[in-house]
This record gives sequence, C-alpha cells and structure tokens, in this order.
Amino acid sequence: MVFRDMFKKTTYIRVDIGKEEAEKTNQINRGQNVEKEPSIPEGMWTKCNVCGEMIYTEDLIENAYVCPKCSGYFRINAKTRISMITDDNSFEEWDQGIHLENPLDFPGYEEKVLHLKRHTNLDEAVITGKALIQGEPVVIGVMDTRFLMASMGEVVGEKITRAVERATNEKIPVILFTCSGGARMQEGIVSLMQMAKISAALKRHSEEGLLYISVLTDPTTGGVTASFAMLGDVILAEPGALVGFAGPRVIEQTIGQRLPEGFQRSEFLLKHGLIDNIVKREDMVATLGRLIRFHQSKEKMELENETKTEYNDLEYRKVINQKGVWEKVQMARSIERPTSLDFINTIFDYFYELHGDRVFRDDGAIVGGVASYRGIPVTVIGQQKGKSTKENMKRNFGMPYPEGYRKALRLMKQAEKFKRPIICFVDTPGAFCGIEAEERGQGEAIAKNLFEMAGITVPILSIVIGEGGSGGALALAVADEVWMLENATYSILSPEGFASILWKDSKRSEEAAELMKITAEDLKDLGIIETIISENGVANMNSLDLIAEEISEQFEKFLQVYTKKSGEELVKDRYNRFRRY
Amino acid sequence: MFKKILVANRGEIAVRIIRACRELGIKSVAVYSEADKEALHTQLADESICIGASASSDSYLNMERILSATIAVKADAIHPGFGFLSENAKFVEMCEKCNIKFIGPSSSIIHKMGNKAEARKTMMKASIPVVPGTKEPVVTAEEGKKLADKIGYPVIIKASLGGGGKGMRIVEREEEFTSQFETAQMESIGSFGDNTMYIEKYIVNPRHIEFQILADQYGNVVHLGERDCSIQRRHQKLIEESPSVAMDENLRKKMGDMAILAAKTVGYENAGTIEFLLDKDKNFYFMEMNTRIQVEHPITEFVTGIDLVKTQIEIAEGKELPFTQNDITITGHAIECRINAEDPACHFMPCPGTIESLHIPGGNGVRVDTAVYQNYKIPPFYDSMLLKVVVHDKDRISAIQKMISVLGEVIIGGTKTNLNFQYEIFNHEKFKKGDINTHFIQDYFEQ
Repeated sequence: MVFRDMFKKTTYIRVDIGKEEAEKTNQINRGQNVEKEPSIPEGMWTKCNVCGEMIYTEDLIENAYVCPKCSGYFRINAKTRISMITDDNSFEEWDQGIHLENPLDFPGYEEKVLHLKRHTNLDEAVITGKALIQGEPVVIGVMDTRFLMASMGEVVGEKITRAVERATNEKIPVILFTCSGGARMQEGIVSLMQMAKISAALKRHSEEGLLYISVLTDPTTGGVTASFAMLGDVILAEPGALVGFAGPRVIEQTIGQRLPEGFQRSEFLLKHGLIDNIVKREDMVATLGRLIRFHQSKEKMELENETKTEYNDLEYRKVINQKGVWEKVQMARSIERPTSLDFINTIFDYFYELHGDRVFRDDGAIVGGVASYRGIPVTVIGQQKGKSTKENMKRNFGMPYPEGYRKALRLMKQAEKFKRPIICFVDTPGAFCGIEAEERGQGEAIAKNLFEMAGITVPILSIVIGEGGSGGALALAVADEVWMLENATYSILSPEGFASILWKDSKRSEEAAELMKITAEDLKDLGIIETIISENGVANMNSLDLIAEEISEQFEKFLQVYTKKSGEELVKDRYNRFRRY
Repeated sequence: MFKKILVANRGEIAVRIIRACRELGIKSVAVYSEADKEALHTQLADESICIGASASSDSYLNMERILSATIAVKADAIHPGFGFLSENAKFVEMCEKCNIKFIGPSSSIIHKMGNKAEARKTMMKASIPVVPGTKEPVVTAEEGKKLADKIGYPVIIKASLGGGGKGMRIVEREEEFTSQFETAQMESIGSFGDNTMYIEKYIVNPRHIEFQILADQYGNVVHLGERDCSIQRRHQKLIEESPSVAMDENLRKKMGDMAILAAKTVGYENAGTIEFLLDKDKNFYFMEMNTRIQVEHPITEFVTGIDLVKTQIEIAEGKELPFTQNDITITGHAIECRINAEDPACHFMPCPGTIESLHIPGGNGVRVDTAVYQNYKIPPFYDSMLLKVVVHDKDRISAIQKMISVLGEVIIGGTKTNLNFQYEIFNHEKFKKGDINTHFIQDYFEQ
C-alpha cells in the first residue's frame, strides 16, 4: 500500500475535439443513448442453483443444461427434453386440448390454467406422444414443472393413461420422464384417482409383456412417486434429483428433526434399492436406446435338430483327481479366482446392471442385470466377491443380505415377464449371518427364492464358480441344471462348521472336507450337478478366457435344449429334478 | 469517444494501458484479484474493483465478473492487454452482446484466426505463403518423393503418430529421399505400429519475424515494420529487436505487403501481428496471426514513434488511422529484453518472492515497462515477467552497447532473475553479429 492515494489521477476531460464538434457528437449520441449504454442483456447469464456461479447461458445450452462448473443439473422443460431424447422430427404429439373440468369448481382455477397455457405455451403439465429413440418407436410422456409444479390433475392423468393405452394396443414401450409436486390440490379427490387410473393402465401394458421405463427427474414427489414413477420395469434417475413421497420440508416438520445431507436424492434412492440406476443426462439417449433395443430383440436361438446333448466330463477327471479336497476348498476360496462379474463381462457382449430390491437396499454381494448372449437377451445374476479389502467391504465378502436375494428374485420375475432365460453364478461362503440380516428375514428371503424359482417359466441355469455355501447358494440354484467349475465346492456348510457341529472342533476341517463330498466330481456322482467345467489347471485371471469360452459353448447347448420347452414343461421338469433327492 | 475504459489485465501491461488512458484524458478502471490488492495497476488506476480470488480462473479469466464490473463502474470499453481474455472469442462475443466495446478485433475474426488450421487455409486461399507440406498422410516412398520434389529440398519426413524424434528424418537431397523415407517408416511401424507419414518443407534455422499491423474500421491497413524475435527459449521469447538484420527494403516491402494482405483478407480491425518464419534464403512462411497487442510492442513504438496502445483505443473509438503507409518510417534500432523472476540454474523455475532492493535505470533512449516497486511481493499465481528493458539508438551495435550498459545498472534484490543470463546473450559474439535464429539459445546456451 506504498502508493495509495499518492498518484495524481485523471480528473480532466479530453480536449482533442473542438467544442462545437463535441456538442454535435453529444446530440447525436443522446438520441441513441438508451440503446447504446453498456448493459447485460436479460438471460445472457444463468445462475447455477447448486454452486451459485453465473453461467453463460449459451454454454449451458451446449452442455445439455448441466452446469459446466459444478456439473449441477438444471431443470429442463418438456419440449427441450423431448428434443434432447428423441430422434430429429420423430415426435408426434397426442391428445392436446383435453377439456379441463374443474371438478371442485375451485375459484380462479380455470383462469389460472388459461394464463399458464398462454405463458408457458404448454397444453398441460405433461406432453405425450409417439417418437423414435435411436430408431426405436416408443410412447413418451414428459412432465413440465412450469405448469402448476407439474401437479397431476385429471388432464395429466388422462393424457398419460391414453398414451399408455395406445402403447398397449400398438405393442410398444412406454418411457415417462417424471417431475411433479404430486396431486393437484385444485382438483381434490379426482386428482387422487389419477394415481389409480394410470397404475391400472400400466398394469395392462405390463401384462402384455411390454416394457415401461420411468426416468425420475428433479423433483418427483407425492402422488406421482406413489404411482407411475415407481412402476417402471426399469427405473432410472438423473443425478441429484429429489425423489420422495413426502417432501423434505413436510418430513422435517412432522418428525422435528433435520434431515441428513443427500436425503431423498437419486444417490440415496440407489443406495436404498429403490431405483435401477442413475444415468447422466449426456448418457440418457444411449442408455434408453440400448435398453429399448434389448427388450425389442427378436433374436431367438437357432434350434438344431439335436434332441440330446452330450456333456463330456470324463477327460477332465484325471486332472481333477490329482488335487486333494482341502486343496480344492482353498482354491474355491482364493482371492485370485475370477468373480461373477469377471465371467459376466467375458461371456456376454452387453451387460447392463440393474440395482436394488425396490424395498430396502441395494446389496453389493449380489449383482444382476440384463445381458446379451450372442444377441439373445438373458438375465444374469451372481454373487459377487471383492478382490481387495475395500471392495470386499462393499461386496460383504460375497455374503448376501436378505435384500440381495430379494433383488435376485425381482430380476428373475422380470426375466419371466420378458421371457428371458436366467443364468446364475453361485459364489458365496453363505448367506450373511448378522443382526440386521435376521431382522430383515434372511430365512424368509431364501425360502421365498426356493418357492418362487420352482415356478419360474423360463429356463434357469446355475453355475457354481467358487464356493457354493449352503442355503445362501441354493437360493440361486433352484435351476434346470446346475454346473460346477472343476475346483469349486458346493456343500451344506463349510468344513469348519461341519467339524464344529459334529466333533465340536473346527480344527478338524480338513478331515471333515474329505467326508462331506463337496467337490464337483463327488456331486456329479451324487447327481446333484449335471456338468463339470474344466478350469484348465487353476481358475484365475489368466485362464478366465478359456473357462469363459467353455461355459459359453456349453451355455449355447443348454439354450438349444431348454428354450424349446414350454413354461409348464420347464416347471414340471424342475419339480422332478428336485423331487428325486 | 470513450469516457472510461476498464483494463482487464494486470502487471506492466495494465500499467501501460492505464498510462495511455490518462494521456488521452480517459478515466481508467483497474480490476484486481485478492493477490493484487497492492499491485501497481490497482493503485495507479482512477478506480479499482476487486473481481475475485487469486487464481486467474477466479479473477482475470472470470468473464462474468469482468463484465459485471464493467457495467457497475459504467465503463464503455474494455482493454484486454495480452494473455488472459485477450484472444477469447467467447468473451468478445459477450462484450458485443452487452454493448461494451472490446478494444481489439471482433469475435468472429478472433475465432477465425484462433483456429490454426482454418487460419492456414484462409491464408493459402489468399496466396500468402505457408510452410509447404502434405495435408494428407503418405504411405509409399514413391508418392512421398513426388511430393517432396514438388515442395523442394530439404524436407522433413514425420510419422503421423510420431513423437520424440522417432520416425522423423530430414532429407537434404533428392537422391536420399527414398532410403530416408523407408527408414523413417520402418521406425514408425516399429514404434507406433503405423506406416502413415507426413512430408513438410524443412526450414533450416529460421528466424521468427513478425509484422505489426494497424487497421481501422474503414479498411485502412498499415504495417509498422518487423520485429525479430528469434531469441527464444522453448518458444518463450527472451529478446526482440526492430528492425531485423535479415531485412532489407525490398523484403520488408514484400513481407509487409503480405501482412497487410493477410489483415485485409480477414477484414481485420485494430492492432495485430502476423508471424512468419524466414529462412536463410529469404523465403518466408505465414505461421499465425496474434489478434492483440504484443509484449514486445515497445520496440515498434521506439522505431516508428507511434503509440500503439493509444492508437488501439482511437481505432476502437471509430477514428480513422491518422497516417498512411508512406508516413511510416523506421528510425534507428530498438531492442527489448525481458527480465523474469526465474532461476536459470534450476530449469528457469519461477521464483516468487519480495523485491527487497530495486534500481531501475533510465537515460536517453531507455524505457523500462514494469509494475514492480521496492518491497513489492511477487504473487505466485501469474507469469514471472518483472521488467521489460527497452533501448533505442541509432543503429544495432549502439543499441546493444546501450542494453549492456543498462542491464549492468539493473538491480533486483530478493529474488532470482534471468538478468545475468540475458547479459551473457548480449555479450555473445554471434548475437552481436546478428547471426541468430530460433535455435540460438539451444545451440549456445544449453547442452
């Protein structure tokens, strides 16, 4: 601050033009002054609500309304959304101009709606119609919060219902982008009925085996969450979107507590098993496109006239016999062993993971989703172990909680709806033993899977790739065939547990292992499994490709046999398979 | 007529612009970051406004804050200086939308010249020479040779995916081409698994020659002669001089005409610089156009007697250039030398610190542009240039003698500088002879 206020500053005006000329210039300038004055045009900058920074609006538009500075999401209106999601010029709008009834004769309501129509250039709080997404025809509905917070009145309900009905008739998927404050207060109980009406229409659509994807955007609350938002076969959400039944303010007032950071945001929902995935705006079209194409896939297995398939395992026997049982137990537990995801990513040409049990939590110990096997859609489920301590915290060392089994069952039911074969990878020390697991019904969850899997009308194949630990393994193994990798184990419980129960000495586990008959070879002899898959020595990341190739080849044969069978036949054969034990 | 100009820069160039404003009777507004609260430009301007935290991205590069500041202080123009937002087409577009005069060319010209490939194409269309070369990759030696014959030797063969000299060969004579091409290609296949090659004219030890131009909004364009900026270290200019010893009246007219043509081709307005490479046979090739005032502008001011920054402001106000090409004469010889706070012994790493003692020389034909003062703390956030020492004398050798004398008087205590490194360059025989090119530092001062 050495020179502060010491410099002589500019206090004079310019003298380089004559006085007369200056006046002339001033006069000319005065006429245009208002327009010429420097000012920031309205809308040139947009403030980001997340980081508070001012964003150049053109940058924002270029960046799909995602803040270039903090990646925060701006809400976007329905028309912008449609143009972002659908193929150019493919959108055909339906059901405009449905008459507003004002069922409660609510004062000022009609005027308000009229004003909004003019102001927003919207017909109502939702736009519906038909469009192409990456060339696939879909019925699409997009809500717009500028119209009474996109609350669900009769017109909104009617437009969505009609759109779903037409989709059912035309046998095409429905994609709904939700954002809403919930029911429309001005329409009272009539608004409430829209929840049931739309849900009923979606039920009919679903019963036709058709796909419905809901995409939750900020904010989706109230009656919309409690109806069509949560009914998607696949539920996706934009990052950071607020999604909930009761609004956070209402909850805080009711319980008198401050809510934690991130409560009711997409990430919270994903963690709590309520949505399948979070999709960034830039990836939305590609994700929707792939999922739709996947569900439209007409690819069926080319059936050869082979009635019986030969599975040969004799040649592996020699190799298998060289290893001791305890050695195999160690190998099955090895951290070097390929996990379910390793096999899934190697065998299938496309895998999209779906998360959550839609009830409580997304269990990291079970992964599942849709996959494509040589162009054929299948559902894949597997118990997942980690390869590091950090990963194992997330995967719980491959020991599922009840919600893991419930997620698996949800995905199996979904496979049944879309007539996709199911392939399960079994690799667990056992279902998790813990307080919360019991609280949430570990036994019930396993039992329910055994019960439901008995009746699933699509082919099920289970492959034990590592440890097949007890009921926790069986809950993914009520299958038409069960295969095992050559060094995998499948048992009533661990040799340690066995020794401890029988001899009160868990140290005698090696001895127990010898007695228990838990190796692939033993189980083949007992008729518990159908096929042994060679590990080409030891299953690790080096032999993964070879093992995966073997599984893949055998899987093709499996599909050839089982996709020929009807649902009743499959259920009957599966019944008999387990009846004989 | 501007009443108030906001200077969207810092350091010596901000000071330079504030002085020009004051001389023209225009009020000046400095913007400053938190680190620059005590900077000279902050204290010297008629008004100062803080625009954010120390990091450039939060202050001198924050377009929204600079525009808001401009509106808030009711300034009618922005002078961007060099660096920061001076060549940012988007910022200029914003100024245009806000009715703020940006002292420089329009956003569309900046955009056009900012894209090197497009600029090259534009210049080729206007028949301005660019470094000849293939635009499409070449695969066979036969094709390559045909092109090389056309371009003229020496040529340089480069692997498309090349780097670190691998797959690169300089071919001096026609008969060597095929074998050299094959060797380079083998190397490329070996190193990058790729056989596609580019062929370009190899400019042997070129000089970096740039022409200063001035253009008003009425289509009048003049050039103010050249600057020889061949003394560079890793593409950073260290010493600039005008005129260049490589130049004669004929060549100056030829290159000057090309510079004017380049400016006219794009409809240029305000001050700009056309950079060329000049080889030893006096062939020259367009490199790029800088759409702003340059660091080294004082040497042109010395030899032409024209105040470039004041002229920039007057052009932006809509005035016609007060001179034509015939009025421009080059008098004597001027040299600029950049003194940076950096450590030559340690890879020229920047050395922020406090200026504990300072002596800035003066005298006849001496100009020092700086923003440092005794006890000034050099902030670590911005570039490390401390002073521009500029001298002017009747001829080159007198100017060099003057520079040596002046540099001997410069005292900067408290931080490491490249002062002695510069001193050695001026005392180097080759430099004194004017035998310089862009490889000078590499050849004589680095192992």
